[in-house]
Amino acid sequence: MSASDEDHIATTSDERLVVMANQIARFFASQPGDAAAGVAKHIAAYWDPRMRAHIRAHAAAGGAGLDPIASDGVAALTR
Amino acid sequence: MPMIKLIDYGTPDAASDMTVTLTIDGREISVAAGTSIMRAAALAGTEIPKLCATDSLEAFGSCRLCLVEIDGRAGTPASCTTPAAEGMVVRTQTETLKRLRNGVMELYISDHPLDCLTCAANGDCELQDMAGAVGLREVRYGYDGENHLAEAKDESNPYFTFDPAKCIVCSRCVRACDEVQGTFALTIAGRGFGSKVSPGQGQPFMDSDCVSCGACVQACPTATLIEKSLIEIGQPERSVVTTCAYCGVGCTFEAQMRGEQVVRMIPYKDGKANQGHSCVKGRFAWGYATHRERILNPMIRDTITDPWREVAWNEAIAHTTQAFKRIQERHGRLAVGAITSSRCTNEETFLVQKLVRAGYGNNNVDTCARVCHSPTGYGLRTTYGTSAGTQDFISVDQADVIVIIGANPTDGHPVFASRMKQRLRAGAHLIVIDPRRIDLVRTPHVEADFHLPLRPGTNVAVLTAMAHVIVTEDLANEDFIRDRCDADEFHDWAAFVARPEHSPEAIEATCGVPAGDLRAAGRLYATGGNGAIYYGLGVTEHSQGTTAVMAIANLAMVTGNIGREGVGVNPLRGQNNVQGACDMGSFPHELSGYRHISDEATRSMFEADWGVALDDEPGLRIPNMLDAAVDGVFKALYIQGEDILQSDPNTHHVSAGLAAMECVVVQDLFLNETANYAHVFLPGSTFLEKDGTFTNAERRIQRVRKVMTPKNGYGDWEITQLLANAMGLGWAYDHPSQIMDEIARLTPTFAGVSFARLDELGSIQWPCNDAAPQGTPVMHIGGFARGKGKFVVTEYVPTDEKIGPRFPLLLTTGRILSQYNVGAQTRRTANVVWHDQDVLEIHPTDAEDRGVREGDLVRLNSRAGEVALHARITDRVAPGVVYTTFHHPDTQANVITTDYSDWATNCPEYKVTAVQVSLANGPTGWQRRSGELSHQSRRIMREPAE
Amino acid sequence: MVARVYVPGDAAAVAVGADEVAAALAAVAARLSTPIEIIRNGSRGMFWLETLVEVETPQGRIGYGPIEAPEVPDLVAAGLFDGAPHAKRVGRPDEIPFLARQTRLTFARCGVIDPGSLDDYRGHGGLKGLERARDLGMIGILDEVTASGLRGRGGAGFPTGIKWRTVAEAVADRKFVVCNADEGDSGTFADRMIMEGDPFVLIEGMIIAGLAVEASYGYVYIRSEYPHAIAALERAIVTAREAGLLGAAFDLEVRAGAGAYVCGEETALLDSLEGKRGVVRVKPPLPAHKGLFGKPTVVNNVLSLAAIPFILAEGAAAYRTFGMGRSRGTMPIQLAGNIRRGGLYETAFGVTLGELVEDIGGGTWSGRPVRAVQVGGPLGAYFPPSLFDTPFDYEAFAARDGLIGHGGVVVFDDSVDMARQARFAMQFCAVESCGKCTPCRLGAVRGTEVIDKIITGQDVAANLSLVEDLCHTMKLGSLCALGGFTPYPVMSAITHFPEDFGARRTMAAE
Repeated sequence: MSASDEDHIATTSDERLVVMANQIARFFASQPGDAAAGVAKHIAAYWDPRMRAHIRAHAAAGGAGLDPIASDGVAALTR
Repeated sequence: MPMIKLIDYGTPDAASDMTVTLTIDGREISVAAGTSIMRAAALAGTEIPKLCATDSLEAFGSCRLCLVEIDGRAGTPASCTTPAAEGMVVRTQTETLKRLRNGVMELYISDHPLDCLTCAANGDCELQDMAGAVGLREVRYGYDGENHLAEAKDESNPYFTFDPAKCIVCSRCVRACDEVQGTFALTIAGRGFGSKVSPGQGQPFMDSDCVSCGACVQACPTATLIEKSLIEIGQPERSVVTTCAYCGVGCTFEAQMRGEQVVRMIPYKDGKANQGHSCVKGRFAWGYATHRERILNPMIRDTITDPWREVAWNEAIAHTTQAFKRIQERHGRLAVGAITSSRCTNEETFLVQKLVRAGYGNNNVDTCARVCHSPTGYGLRTTYGTSAGTQDFISVDQADVIVIIGANPTDGHPVFASRMKQRLRAGAHLIVIDPRRIDLVRTPHVEADFHLPLRPGTNVAVLTAMAHVIVTEDLANEDFIRDRCDADEFHDWAAFVARPEHSPEAIEATCGVPAGDLRAAGRLYATGGNGAIYYGLGVTEHSQGTTAVMAIANLAMVTGNIGREGVGVNPLRGQNNVQGACDMGSFPHELSGYRHISDEATRSMFEADWGVALDDEPGLRIPNMLDAAVDGVFKALYIQGEDILQSDPNTHHVSAGLAAMECVVVQDLFLNETANYAHVFLPGSTFLEKDGTFTNAERRIQRVRKVMTPKNGYGDWEITQLLANAMGLGWAYDHPSQIMDEIARLTPTFAGVSFARLDELGSIQWPCNDAAPQGTPVMHIGGFARGKGKFVVTEYVPTDEKIGPRFPLLLTTGRILSQYNVGAQTRRTANVVWHDQDVLEIHPTDAEDRGVREGDLVRLNSRAGEVALHARITDRVAPGVVYTTFHHPDTQANVITTDYSDWATNCPEYKVTAVQVSLANGPTGWQRRSGELSHQSRRIMREPAE
Repeated sequence: MVARVYVPGDAAAVAVGADEVAAALAAVAARLSTPIEIIRNGSRGMFWLETLVEVETPQGRIGYGPIEAPEVPDLVAAGLFDGAPHAKRVGRPDEIPFLARQTRLTFARCGVIDPGSLDDYRGHGGLKGLERARDLGMIGILDEVTASGLRGRGGAGFPTGIKWRTVAEAVADRKFVVCNADEGDSGTFADRMIMEGDPFVLIEGMIIAGLAVEASYGYVYIRSEYPHAIAALERAIVTAREAGLLGAAFDLEVRAGAGAYVCGEETALLDSLEGKRGVVRVKPPLPAHKGLFGKPTVVNNVLSLAAIPFILAEGAAAYRTFGMGRSRGTMPIQLAGNIRRGGLYETAFGVTLGELVEDIGGGTWSGRPVRAVQVGGPLGAYFPPSLFDTPFDYEAFAARDGLIGHGGVVVFDDSVDMARQARFAMQFCAVESCGKCTPCRLGAVRGTEVIDKIITGQDVAANLSLVEDLCHTMKLGSLCALGGFTPYPVMSAITHFPEDFGARRTMAAE
């Protein structure tokens, strides 16, 4: 077994959620209107409760890696 | 059900609003202007003898059997090539004509083997029929003259034989290959008596350009080109019309049966999607249904390293139900879920999502559309209001400029590609936007005006640059925009695309497409008449897949190319029922008809109908399920007709997720790769074994009809019902039509759909309701489903997947004509003769840099993993780009792809992976281990027979 | 003074040594330091006199023929360059009865002028038709051609004016003029002669056609067996282009065929021009509506187009004065086969077959009695002497189950076996069939086989009846004239020469 053979992606699901939130934020940042509201609405509509809880917890713990708009969007989540 | 007999009218329908009235054999008949006398006669119930004419092909006039007499005209014109005219008086039966036809038949039979009794076409041979029809009683020439009886048979094609000894040189096969299929693989070689049908330049069929679509076999009036299955089994005794279970074109076939055996699948002339055409998959590759590797008994095992143990159905169902109940008790309501299949029927898909929502009590249901066209749903819903393509297929006949983006129709959607090629040969312009030089860029009598070979991942930049050209060069359709679109959104968008950084000149360096070509393509689309965009997974499977779909929607709106025939935005759907699976509420956030689960009114309608309370929170998508499994909170998954291990990206991650679950239930025809991680295997049924409906890429709902009893005992819908009832849901569907009735009752866009209505109309394109009782072929006529069309700003965001010194090449993936998706079906047919392994296409320069020669085994690695496969050196791919398919489990191309995905839908970024290629000396460790696991997982302990 | 000497460059003359004669003349003149100018003119169409050397004298052009190269020194010594008497001196060619009796409208310049010289062409009345055509305009040209009564000289005899008008009225972004120079009939050579002897008349005719139908491009489809004609026409096209006759408004090119007789059929010709295998198309659509590359196309024979400049220059009335009934103007008839005076004979319609064969042609070359004459190429009927009163006219020939076709007349003496000629007709059809339609593809082979059975005396009566049925099938059932007309030679041989189809005679002949 070569070393590179096992060299595959090993991100945690929290890291993935941050990437996803930032991607969403990047889109809404380009749109006219309130970008954070757009992010919040999108996440509320498509993320399951556990994912939402995780990202909120992550944001609450400092939100490492979260873009500002993503942070604002997560903060705007109502549930 | 007896054999279906369709009338062959001899020549195609003449599309004309004007009518002419003529008299044929004393009977007056009115027909559309331009109709041939032959067709007019057939419409009047008179069959004029014919051999070279068939209504799928233009009249040719070569057999000379259909000659008639016309008052006031000299000679005996051919009825197939002579158009009916006002006041014409035609006689089809006279002494002169009888003598003439007899003379022609006498000539034919003088060069034809007299082996009718042992001929495979006996009873279904037009030559035989015509000899009878003209009353041929003797062949005075004898049989010792010059002839073709000793010509050698060509049996090279796995599905049909070519016996030139039986050929009557009517050219129907050649014309079908040219006119219908557009491959131009056949010709008539030689001349005069020496004329013969020749694949390529006198080559065997398999060495020619033949794509084995079957059009020639279908067109042949004798046993010259005939299915091997027919030769083996004999003439069919009954036939049933059904829908193909391969790609999203949704071809209608007549399954011709002998007892429980399929004799052949014949493309159905009245099928709205295919109009009598077919491809090598639907036409011939159905043998998997009886393949020896098909699993027919339920099986269970405690751990994925155990061998399988065959059990009775009740035991398997009880075992599964107990496991799911136990897991939910221990890990919570949200710890289980299901994946519906785009391969199964609408009714089956609907039941699986119903099982999850009503039985599991959560919304953890997703479908394989997640990994293909989910961005289409999101993008088109946002801009237009409906998650579907806007046109029917025949709309392409009216298109003047065809734009193909990230799709390879001749391989992926061959029957529609043939139709598109007909239009292109008739003069429509073509723009291809694809990193790879797909066949349509240059194919016989078709050449793209522009091929924009963009760098993978730059769709949004290219599409926005085209919009820039249209807006800044004043090519926008202002009337359309004013009447049909939201003005503020348009102005925001127009200001955005007009920025200098979106000009072709500014974008050129990013996308690699010359600015001049980008400008010219934008102008052509905007000004060339009806512009129709067709796109595929090359658009959606990107981190900006949804944005690209919206950019396409913007282009159609800014040019007014929406809301009529010949235009539109047309996603080419990968699997047979991708559209349907999405329509049926397979996504975790929405119920059937694309209504969000949080919508109180919709939810309460379902709650009332189903008698349960529904969770109002969106559930997990497939990648989220796998993440949750790795996290240890998602424990059981019911997968109907999907092989996520092979088809989903980043195989390592998928396998880790599956391995982390306590109960994986796979319902499939074969022990697929996902089943290596399964604890329960429920044998599924093929499309031949059940009733239901599929919905194709045109939103066309079509019947799937049962032609044989399920070899596994149950249709897939029945298996889901067994699971539901074991959970105490008390379902009592006797027939899938009742499920459709429920769908119609609960889904406004399906309100007018029922099996009875489908049987009556043949097919229905949704929306079908009181507002559109016949269905809706073209959408957004007069107004968008959402009201005003919405322009969306589409900022180009480069993917995070970037090339660098370690991974300097970009891998993009696709499919090939003969294989389908993960190949579970096609690999178990003779289609493997065309494609027995996945190969890596690499540009000669890149190959040379790496010392790679044609056919070398190479190691392809990305940051996700590595596989070994053989190299094919070709300039179809640009330097810096490599390409492969994902049909073969021993390649496992998805080991390479990453977990990057679309920002809106999590559709994986299959189309862009940074990779390196180097010479290899054998399979990779993963390939070896996965091979071992597959081998282990195919061990079955059979119960001794009772 | 420089002596001007004419030595035909025509392929028929070259075939009997004209090039060697020209070389010998040049060599002798050089040796004697006599300055001469040799002009390679076309043939006058009196093939028994080829090589016909003409020299310009104060008395006009004086001919000597037939000349072979070894005779040249003696001829020159005898005073050839001055038109001096000699056994081979034939006097002024245009006074030779064969030529003097003709009405040369189309071939007026052929053999007279230097085919490579546009000035010579113009000096002999060339381009007058084009000038007048330009004045008349599209409608005027169409009216003039219609009024002339000109019918297609390729064989079908369709009125040229009507064909042109159909193309003129068709709406399209492009139209074409195609000249059919795939002259494949046995015993015919008129197309070749005019292309080699007066190529500008064809070019002028095509330009006028282009004006009439608003076509911008023309093709001349010449059989590959005519290399001299291809070269002559290509040279003339370059000259015409340099002179501004051809160019942006209307241009021309030559395309060479590949040896298939059937490509003389207009639709097969169009397929071949498009680069496809030459196969007959069904009609409708007519080429006038959907012809070359699907565009409205005039397809005319060389002789039809070459007749146009006269009609435009001299007026429709001048042309239609000649002829009889519905066959107006002149027909360049080609006398060939076993005939004493073979060659091109342009005359008004109406001359009888007997006059042509016996008076003009002088009977057979062999001196034996004439037994049969095949008119109209390999698909034309055989006429016995008893029908020699038939006038050369489309309708008169049709009334006697014959056709005048492209005007080829091939003479046979009494040694001919007409059963073998009938067999040859079937065999010719079998060899040349494109293979598209059944009666021709299969019928011609079976026809050959059945006639073989008749020749060897097998079931003669039954097989003759089978041939008759087959001819019925082929005539009414074939897609084009190849299969459709093959019954003419076969049935005319059986009808007029039944004695050749009995077992007795043919057995003896084996």
